Amino acid sequence: MNSVDHFQVLGLPRSPVVDDASLKRAYYDLNRRLHPDRHQTGSAAVQEESLQNTAAVNDAYRTLRDPIERGLYWLSLHGENLGANNNRVPPELAALVFEVQEQLEEIRDTRRSGKLAEVTALQAARDDIVERCAVLEIRLQENFRLWDTGGDAAPLLADLKSILSALAYLNTLLRDVDLVLEK
Amino acid sequence: MERIYGIDLGTTNSLIAYADKDGLHVVRDPQTGSALLPSVVSFLSAEDCVVGAAAKARASEHALETIASVKRFMGLGMEHVSEADRGQFAFAPESKSGIVRFRVHGRDFTAPEISAYILKALKQRVKDVLGEDVVRVVVTVPAYFNDSQRQATRDAGRLAGLEVLRLVNEPTAASLAYGLDQRHDGTVAVYDLGGGTFDISILKLHEGIFEVLATNGDTRLGGDDIDRVIAQLLVDKLSAEQRSHPEILRSALAAAEAAKVRLSDAESTTLGFTYDGVRVERTLTRAEFETLISPIVERSLAPCRQALKDAGLKPQDLDEVVLVGGSTRTPLVRRLVEEFFGRKPHVELNPDEVVALGAAVQAGVLSGANKDLLLLDVVPLSLGIETVGGVMERIIDRNTTIPAILRQEFTTFVDDQTAVDFHVLQGERELVQDNRSLARFKLRGLHPQPAGLPRIEVTFMIDANGILNVTARDKATGHEQSIDVKPSYGLTDEVVEQMLEESFDHAEDDVAARLLIEARNDADGILRAARKQMAEYSPPPAEQQGIDAAIAILEEAMRGTDYNHIRDLTDELKKVTEPLAHRIMESAIKLAVEHKNIADVV
Repeated sequence: MNSVDHFQVLGLPRSPVVDDASLKRAYYDLNRRLHPDRHQTGSAAVQEESLQNTAAVNDAYRTLRDPIERGLYWLSLHGENLGANNNRVPPELAALVFEVQEQLEEIRDTRRSGKLAEVTALQAARDDIVERCAVLEIRLQENFRLWDTGGDAAPLLADLKSILSALAYLNTLLRDVDLVLEK
Repeated sequence: MERIYGIDLGTTNSLIAYADKDGLHVVRDPQTGSALLPSVVSFLSAEDCVVGAAAKARASEHALETIASVKRFMGLGMEHVSEADRGQFAFAPESKSGIVRFRVHGRDFTAPEISAYILKALKQRVKDVLGEDVVRVVVTVPAYFNDSQRQATRDAGRLAGLEVLRLVNEPTAASLAYGLDQRHDGTVAVYDLGGGTFDISILKLHEGIFEVLATNGDTRLGGDDIDRVIAQLLVDKLSAEQRSHPEILRSALAAAEAAKVRLSDAESTTLGFTYDGVRVERTLTRAEFETLISPIVERSLAPCRQALKDAGLKPQDLDEVVLVGGSTRTPLVRRLVEEFFGRKPHVELNPDEVVALGAAVQAGVLSGANKDLLLLDVVPLSLGIETVGGVMERIIDRNTTIPAILRQEFTTFVDDQTAVDFHVLQGERELVQDNRSLARFKLRGLHPQPAGLPRIEVTFMIDANGILNVTARDKATGHEQSIDVKPSYGLTDEVVEQMLEESFDHAEDDVAARLLIEARNDADGILRAARKQMAEYSPPPAEQQGIDAAIAILEEAMRGTDYNHIRDLTDELKKVTEPLAHRIMESAIKLAVEHKNIADVV
């Protein structure tokens, strides 16, 4: 386990609720001081240190700025991850996933005939996916807030895991849909 | 301390610029006053060449002894060379390394060597105009250049006897030059269509920080492609026999380029050339020209779309669009860009000069003279390694801010494996075969264990130049092996050394003079840094005395000519200031991380 986590690297409180403005300020301020461009005249050791430190700051920022990445990181800090067994469809999404997969299959088959109706239906399904993602992201933010109120960690962790698992699933589906729609 | 120069090593033209207290300056040819040095090298014999306008003038008559657009071959293997190119250049037969070599007057040259001649010509220009030796430089590269192409550019600098402090992406450099004039916050798209490459970069400007959000491009799209389509109009009028002459093809290309330039203002022009007393010509209208080239220009829009998507933005979210590169003078390009982004692009700065000027700005940042600006750039293409089934496993995603260090664990697939082969790749496709192979290496010395048990940690590190370094470590045994990845089509250090020696013509005096200049420059840099650090953070008396003493003897040595002595004393000063430098770094971090050492993180 690392002794310094992403929150500490950026000097932020260790909480899944991250204030966007503070995060950006910390990121910019640290880069202004640590970036290799600022230490070009230093010795080899100083330059190496600058590179390592800036990479750590960049990694922390990249992870914490995105709510989903941040949630996954929060899971990992609690010894959890979505793991390889995330290929089980979350039950509440089963119907939607089945329907969309069906549509994708059909469009791929009838690609040459270019039926407009199916594309329109897929577009509607896409809107549905996007909406569900938005709802889940609101739930994600709520979950983040509850950690700060000092609630019981176990149920919060389970809830977080199920939200992230559903989001991961929907985002994969969205990518598949977009690939077909782009063509 | 001598200046750090900014160099735009372009496909068609190259420039050198610098920044001083009066602003930014491009160094111009003392005879013609031109800022542009045509990136053309023409060999009079195996030992003697001309560079620039003189070389360009020889292009038609001596097509196979003249190499233009060499940038298109940087970091490539012969397998990447198209049929059309094979007709236009004299390549050497493929060698074992597969690297592209040109054969001129019986001598073989790599693309970095040819580029080094261009860099040396820029160096000579500065010597002639300002009487200064150019030693340390910032060189620009297309943002979409991959790792091999970047390494090749750095090699070219070394071969020219330059210390390449930083490779900067061209559109990012351009934004720095623009940002100086109109400093305010906002989101900017830089559309850079040059002679041979296209880049699009989306940046966020915030209080002097230039943060690249996304970049995309095509390293095979530029004015050269436009010229080729137009030249084809003339080639179609030639007999099969005439077409087999490279000289005639070069003449057609030169005529096409000239007609293209005229059509930026004129509605109609005569496209034609005379070769060996035979005149080939036709009329070309702006409308016909635009119909012919629009498929080429439209190829730039897909990268624009992708870059916006990666940045999570829509065209209307942008505050400004900036045009860079000579090809953006073509009215059709301006019109398409304006339509796509829904706003009039900026064209205030000379699109040919803005990249070199930006490189000069970045040189000022690196020297410490400019403390207001900072570039946060990204890696343009994803990096990863090959896993089972010929699939690329990504380790670093495209548009990740650099420097970046990312790790991933891998294991074995066969029982009792004692070595693992790694294949490093760059690109966006799923399958290995569709991506660019950067390097292969082997991690040996694993203890025989059942498949799946060994834990091998692979670390990808991208430095501020966007150049990759890969290491692999056997975690299970704690046994560590670091492997420096050399690009598949790069030059090995030995080859570079050998070329360097040859290029000095074994003139000992030249070498000694250069080494002395370098040693003095290095010493000067360290002296300045030490003085600055002492002024800002006064060290304890004992340490202060040690540093003062080291400074005094170094200054004494610098008045002499013993470069080895100067180097030793420079190292000595570095050593005694190390604790101070370390404390300064620490105190910066402590502001954010209370009582923690950030080195523990990584």
